[in-house]
Amino acid sequence: MTLEKIARNIPASLWNVASEKLIDITLNSPNASKMPSDLAKTILYYWQRDQLATEVGLHRLLDASMILEPDKTISLMEELGLSEIVVILKETL
Amino acid sequence: MIELGIEFVPRDLYWKTTFYAIQAEKIGFDYLWITDHFNNRNVYVSLAIVSAYTERIKFGPGVTNPYLVHPVVTAQGVATLNEIAPGRVVCGLGVGDKTTLQMVNIEQRKPLATIRESVHIIREIASGRNLEMQGKIFKVSGAKLNFKVPNPISVFIGAQGPKMLALAAEIGDGVLINASHPKDIEKAMKFVREGAEKTDKKLEDLSISAYTSFSIASSYDKALKTVIPVVAYIVAGSPEIILDRHEISVELASKIRDAIVHGQWKEAFSHVDNDMVEAFSICGTSETCIEKIDTLIKVGVNQIVVGSPIGPNMRKSINIIATELFPNFKK
Repeated sequence: MTLEKIARNIPASLWNVASEKLIDITLNSPNASKMPSDLAKTILYYWQRDQLATEVGLHRLLDASMILEPDKTISLMEELGLSEIVVILKETL
Repeated sequence: MIELGIEFVPRDLYWKTTFYAIQAEKIGFDYLWITDHFNNRNVYVSLAIVSAYTERIKFGPGVTNPYLVHPVVTAQGVATLNEIAPGRVVCGLGVGDKTTLQMVNIEQRKPLATIRESVHIIREIASGRNLEMQGKIFKVSGAKLNFKVPNPISVFIGAQGPKMLALAAEIGDGVLINASHPKDIEKAMKFVREGAEKTDKKLEDLSISAYTSFSIASSYDKALKTVIPVVAYIVAGSPEIILDRHEISVELASKIRDAIVHGQWKEAFSHVDNDMVEAFSICGTSETCIEKIDTLIKVGVNQIVVGSPIGPNMRKSINIIATELFPNFKK
């Protein structure tokens, strides 16, 4: 399953909290320099338009956080009770 | 009407600075300043990307200096930005950071004449005019941009000393006072008034900013930890007259300077005490910061710039500013 499909499986009730926490993981990552520039620009595009807490925004944030901090991203999904997503993300490692 | 500005140092990756810039615009900051040091990311490249992701906030170099960057190049930079974001570009100019200039063996010679002439050059060139000038510092023979600049760009001057403060008020559209303490701002305002009077400028027509070192967090200790390195640098670079004003030991300042020069950061930071933090920063929880900003406004500034480091977690600190600080000043 792609990260895009994974993002679609996050319930809308969790979009805000997931988005906030994924942003924190991404901005505070010591691996921030690994962020692909195109992905960074896409995230900025959605941030400017207040769309980071939507399916498309979450997809891009997941892309970023899985590159920079895969373990923390998986822990976050566990914390949010998204066990199916956790299994899928672990398979992508 | 109080305006609020924020300063970013492009030490961070470009996308992080831009992320925070978007956040700053969203919460209602009026101005965004990006510092210009050759050892950080380039200020105009940083501003260009910020301009592409923002729509309202005014922005500019805060501040660039004419020792390292010739004013015709500064004029070109701000004029080009103005094409991307018409009417939103401002230009902050100052004599620069001594320590950084020393790294490239540049001396801050004749600062008053240099700034006076630079402002003239930037205004003329950025207005699209042809400039002939035989100054004490700069000689310009028929310099002109090959593109049109539709609107004037305001020039703000960073200042600390009495003569520079007066000059900034006399020739600038705005004064960026490098200070965080009411005592320093009060002293500075005397010279700002003198400068403004020279040209019959009304003080209320001038943007007068306290360009502060700022650190806000949910607890004082968290804010303090982040601001200590910045305060150490300020103490190390402060003239004796300023240290005396705040009853800070010159010997201690000298110890901090020596430690910084030798790269002994732990040693340098260990000498920073509460008096230094109080003198050279706005640091603490929102209550403390609101109280201090109030006192700065009372002594006459009409813009507060929250400068580096802003807080231990930039995003959280900007959110604290939005939810707890802004309601007091952005009515």
